[in-house]
Amino acid sequence: MNIENFQDTINACRFCFMCRHLSAVGNVTFRESDTPRGRALLTGKMQQNIKNLPPDYIDTFYRAELSAANRFHCVSHYDEAGLILAARRDIVEAGLAPENVKTLAAELQKANFKVEGSGSMLYYVDLYSDKANAPKDCKIISGGDTGKALEVLGFVKEAETVWTKFQTAVKASGCQTVVTSCPASYDMMKKRLDSVKVLHIAEFIEGKRGSGSVYYLDSDYLKNYNDNMTAPRDLLKKLGYELKPFGTNGEESYSAGEGAVIYDKLNPELTAKLCERIAELADNPAIDILVTASPYTRSVLNKYVPQLKVLLLDEVAAKGVK
Amino acid sequence: MSMIKENYLLSMLESELTDAVGRDYVSTNAADQLGHSIDYYWIPEMWHDRGRENPKPDFIVHPSSAEEVAKVMKIANNYKIPVTPWGGGSGSQGGALPMYGGIILDTKRMNKVLAIDTASLTVTVETGINTQHLEWAVEKVGFSTMHFPASIACATLGGFLAHRGTGVLSTKYGKIEDMVMSLEMVTPTGEIINTLPVPRHASGPDLTMLYLGSEGTLGVITKVTMKIHPVPEARKFHAFLFKNMHEAMVAGANIMRSRLRPCVIRLYDEPETARLIKRVLGIDKQGAYLVFGFDGPEKIVDLELEQACAICRRQEHEDLGTELGQAWWDHRYKFFYPPYMFHLPQAFGTLDTVATFDNIENVYWAMKNAVKDNFPEAAFIGHYSHWYEWGCMLYARFIVDTPPQDPQEATLYYNKIWNSAIRAAMREGGVINEHHGVGLKLGRLMKELYGPAFNVLGSIKKVLDPNNIMNPGKMGFER
Ligand SMILES: Cc1cc2nc3c(=O)[nH]c(=O)nc-3n(C[C@H](O)[C@H](O)[C@H](O)COP(=O)(O)OP(=O)(O)OC[C@H]3O[C@@H](n4cnc5c(N)ncnc54)[C@H](O)[C@@H]3O)c2cc1C
Ligand code: SF4
Repeated sequence: MNIENFQDTINACRFCFMCRHLSAVGNVTFRESDTPRGRALLTGKMQQNIKNLPPDYIDTFYRAELSAANRFHCVSHYDEAGLILAARRDIVEAGLAPENVKTLAAELQKANFKVEGSGSMLYYVDLYSDKANAPKDCKIISGGDTGKALEVLGFVKEAETVWTKFQTAVKASGCQTVVTSCPASYDMMKKRLDSVKVLHIAEFIEGKRGSGSVYYLDSDYLKNYNDNMTAPRDLLKKLGYELKPFGTNGEESYSAGEGAVIYDKLNPELTAKLCERIAELADNPAIDILVTASPYTRSVLNKYVPQLKVLLLDEVAAKGVK
Repeated sequence: MSMIKENYLLSMLESELTDAVGRDYVSTNAADQLGHSIDYYWIPEMWHDRGRENPKPDFIVHPSSAEEVAKVMKIANNYKIPVTPWGGGSGSQGGALPMYGGIILDTKRMNKVLAIDTASLTVTVETGINTQHLEWAVEKVGFSTMHFPASIACATLGGFLAHRGTGVLSTKYGKIEDMVMSLEMVTPTGEIINTLPVPRHASGPDLTMLYLGSEGTLGVITKVTMKIHPVPEARKFHAFLFKNMHEAMVAGANIMRSRLRPCVIRLYDEPETARLIKRVLGIDKQGAYLVFGFDGPEKIVDLELEQACAICRRQEHEDLGTELGQAWWDHRYKFFYPPYMFHLPQAFGTLDTVATFDNIENVYWAMKNAVKDNFPEAAFIGHYSHWYEWGCMLYARFIVDTPPQDPQEATLYYNKIWNSAIRAAMREGGVINEHHGVGLKLGRLMKELYGPAFNVLGSIKKVLDPNNIMNPGKMGFER
């Protein structure tokens, strides 16, 4: 079983409460099972008998937001997020994936990539971004998710097929640098695209100067998966903005499920709750300007808590905050 | 052992509970039931590890207010089914375990900070709040609760109130019971009551204190007003190494007797200095490590620190300086993360107790000898965490690397260690526990500890909880 590769994590997390305060889903459902401890307890039972895995356990694994804030916080960085991905893989391999997950996976497999435009760099348009916002002088690649979403759902073979299509299209573009606004895709490409340079837009755009104060919401993939808290902040500072700390702490995930890539499609009600918690933590929801590096986060916050003013880093750079 | 059998009564109850707290907040979900069947008590962990099932709740409810808690209580009284409050489940005494099934009343949805009074320096808050979240919220407006337990991120405020818990700065800021102004409670029969608004009064016995430490057996604490404090200008530490625990104890007790006001003193016996201080702080030395800290205006801190150092230098010592004191503070929570914490297959337990300075070393040796003589396979280590004008708390631990494999046998073996160590402590003037509580783990020893006075507690329980629905099986109360 895939979870057996995470035996040390199962053993460590199943009786550990030290990071429960950072369980984004747990903080809105209040359920013990929606914490690294709760999930590790479930994997322990899963090891004993996957064939009769209760549907409630499966549902819990797919409710996880995979922010990896807990792993980031953990003194020993036990890979609680990796464990859930492995559990999902096992569920898929055992033919136990829930119907809604299978439907979503089938949809994602239809990805068909197309490169257009001209330029020496390639800009990847993810599922939550708009072609219109692509930087000038870049070729554009679009047509679906890179395979990251399938991988996160536990469909590893299918993810590989999609990724191969994506990689082939990137190579065929002839570009030596790929830029994306999507931190999840950045994570995927950075780890897997060899011989092509991968940049998150924050590491790339120049932008125009602005002023005033903004709150930056960390992206799970930049901060917790790639240890990159500085690039977006540096960009905002360089553009002239004063950064205010969001909420009460810098450890919680404020990205509303970004770690699970397409969380809103699988768990819309929970996504709404995650967004509401972010709204509750805002100092002055009516006037604060929140900036995110994740098109996913911007999209769901705009949808579920429209009272908040949330801008994408790219937009701030291109147009300012007004 | 569930009181409710598999029939439509279950659905009848579910309908009523749903009506009380809302559809999303009543769960019969198998994943949640598993999560609520294991807290931080070693026995359910071991039981799970050995592939056995722990007692599970029939329902988990998440009320959002005292009114909803009251509704749940009334339903439970009507059906005469158990209600076990659950905060973070981080209690080490099995206090939140649903031993007889029924309803787990999970308090975490009651998590709002209601008011911060900057004139009186108090915060009024719902008790299901995670204590790290509370601390962050209070810090955001420039204050601190000064409640820094190692489980700050694990537990709810209600759990600490229910167990009379404590944080690392207790020596100056007090245990949780010293921090409380007043409480709101939902009684076992579903009435919402408040204790008096101030803790110092001569208006009859102190109801607040009756509920603190009641571990969910006398009702649910739903709201509390607590003291908060300004963030001090400075907090500084200093560490010493003494040739043995006795020398270090004399130094620590002298600091307290001098009436200086350290925010923390911690003294590790020689085995724990060799084992944990070495592992976590990298201090590889023989002897007993003592660290203390002061906080407040910097000038006063410097003066107090100097005085405390002078007191320590009266004993035979090695001065480890401020850096190795600060290092302890910086890593104070690291001890509790895996893999630094003890873990299965080891059997381990925190034998915490408290006694006067006159008795505390005798308590230590009595416990240690009881463990060593009867269970030579067990290691025994200890430190003194929380200091008072009159004595201090002993946080002793036993560790057995290979306890019996059979879970029943392991349970009996484990309890035997506890019985002999705690009885030894009680003989020397110690008590069952100082800040972790009684729970399922130590209930059987309550009558021995209190003697005839336990009847007073038993009578209160009977009057307040006539149907005996609140957290049955805990604190030694009759089932
Ligand atoms: C790693 C670790 C370190 C720890 N360090 C410390 C420490 O430094 N100091 C310390 O004091 N403890 C410590 N503990 C123990 C534990 O965190 C405390 O006992 C804490 O008070 C438990 O709170 P909880 O919310 O998790 O309560 P739970 O475990 O859920 O419940 C504990 C008891 O309180 C009752 N209860 C819970 N909420 C309420 C309520 N609102 N009303 C009435 N009854 C209620 C329950 O029924 C149960 O009997 C530690 C635990 C861990 C896991
Ligand atoms: S990730 Fe680390 S802190 Fe969190 S539960 Fe696991 S071991 Fe504990």
